[in-house]
Amino acid sequence: MPNYMLLLHEEPADYSQFSAEQIQGVIAEYVGWRRSIEAEGKLVGGEKLKDEGGKHLSGQNGSLRITDGPYTEAKEVIGGYFTISAADYDEAVETAKGCPHLKYGGRIELREVEAVH
Amino acid sequence: MQAASEIRVNESVDHLFRHHAGQMVSVLCRIFGFDRIDMIEDAVQDALIAALRKWPFTGMPENPTAWLTQAAKNKVIDRLRCEDRSEPADDLDIADPGEATPVFLSSEIAEDQLRMIFACCHPAITPDSQVALTLKIVGGFSVREIASAFLASEDAVAKLLARAKSRLRETVATLVIPVSEEITTRLDAVLKVLYLMFNEGYGASEGNELVRRDLCFEAVRLIEILSAHPATSLPKVHAAAALFLFQASRLPARTDHAGELILLADQDRSTWDRRMIARGVHHFRRSASGGELSSFHLEAEIAAVYTLSKNYQSTDWPRILECYSLLQKASFSPVAELNRIIVIGQISGAELGLRALDSLETSHQISAYNLFHITRGDLLSQLGRNAEAKSSFEKALLLTKNDAVLRFIERRLADVVGLP
Repeated sequence: MPNYMLLLHEEPADYSQFSAEQIQGVIAEYVGWRRSIEAEGKLVGGEKLKDEGGKHLSGQNGSLRITDGPYTEAKEVIGGYFTISAADYDEAVETAKGCPHLKYGGRIELREVEAVH
Repeated sequence: MQAASEIRVNESVDHLFRHHAGQMVSVLCRIFGFDRIDMIEDAVQDALIAALRKWPFTGMPENPTAWLTQAAKNKVIDRLRCEDRSEPADDLDIADPGEATPVFLSSEIAEDQLRMIFACCHPAITPDSQVALTLKIVGGFSVREIASAFLASEDAVAKLLARAKSRLRETVATLVIPVSEEITTRLDAVLKVLYLMFNEGYGASEGNELVRRDLCFEAVRLIEILSAHPATSLPKVHAAAALFLFQASRLPARTDHAGELILLADQDRSTWDRRMIARGVHHFRRSASGGELSSFHLEAEIAAVYTLSKNYQSTDWPRILECYSLLQKASFSPVAELNRIIVIGQISGAELGLRALDSLETSHQISAYNLFHITRGDLLSQLGRNAEAKSSFEKALLLTKNDAVLRFIERRLADVVGLP
């Protein structure tokens, strides 16, 4: 079964006005979603990307350009990713649809991982 | 410390984050100073947000509270570094929240929370501010939640809190549990704040039902911190704890599924919270020592009689009446007198109740209270004087804002309308 990657784009949301109670509620939703796809054997992995730091590297006419990023100019960043397994895009979309990220203003980019063979 | 499994999917079931936020602010204020409270509150909020952004991807850490504690401590240290760049970094120990071991002992945390409760209930600030500040700092409630409980604007609550905090910064040098003679008066102030907090949640005023219920449970949580600490484990503290627990145990039965009010007489007693009642009994027993019969003792006894009776019919009305009479003797209140008159009606009949009500009306300004007219209407309808009862309920309607209470009076009104 192919793997799919869920890239979770987010606008660094302003959670500063969220109450402790609400924050716990949002976490519980994510944990619930994660557990349910885990229980169905669909979760392959997931990692959070660090907010701080980040570099952009680019080669121009043989010279390397390194800039700090992505925060300075980007409105949206990738907060992290999940890898799931699914029979096809339809099933992958079904799984991704349940992700609470979508409820809180985030955007998910869903891509099939190219198999090695 | 709570295990990861205790974070439930339904966030309203358990208040781990809110309680933890309050604990962390108390602990960090002891370490870094009360004058840094604004920064510490922000840092604690940052730690909760860090968890929100990380845990979805990594899953819950093994010990969430230890993780949050370490993260909050790190955020404070980060901010201190930003404040003062010259501070040598080696002096500050930043551990990775990942390697989570309990950072503080639970006895330390309880002690710090108790100190913070005394600070928030400091006589230098007004009673309103004391309640709001206790909810914010010790309870971990947000400005919006407090505003919703008190039907105030968020802006007004934020200003109230800011004023109270700046007043406290001027007054409170270090956080302490008061000692010797001082503790008596300061403890009374704390009890008054918790009593107000509980009643704000329990009373049938307006406001978000869920948040108001949380106010009751928060008052219960805080009074139990007081009753567990040797310095404050006094009979009247136990009496207040018993009162809150007996009352709170009946919360689930007070409204039906549609949110309609259910009177004590009609409540399904099997839905009362048995564990709370047991804890109430425990505190009630421990309150029975020492020479002082506080108002908390009397109110706890009334609540105990109501809660522990097998059914409504077997309620020990004379005992309740005696407690109400003693309460009124100590400090008369026309509104509380209504409760006493309702009991008189139970014992001696509606006729006598009505007579007591009439004499209360002539001696005190009571006719602006909806409860006066509801009580009057109730007694009149018992006597079959339905036309008069109707007019009393109609007066009560005009004085009522709360929707559930409005609908309750309308139902009473419907009962008497159409009867001769």
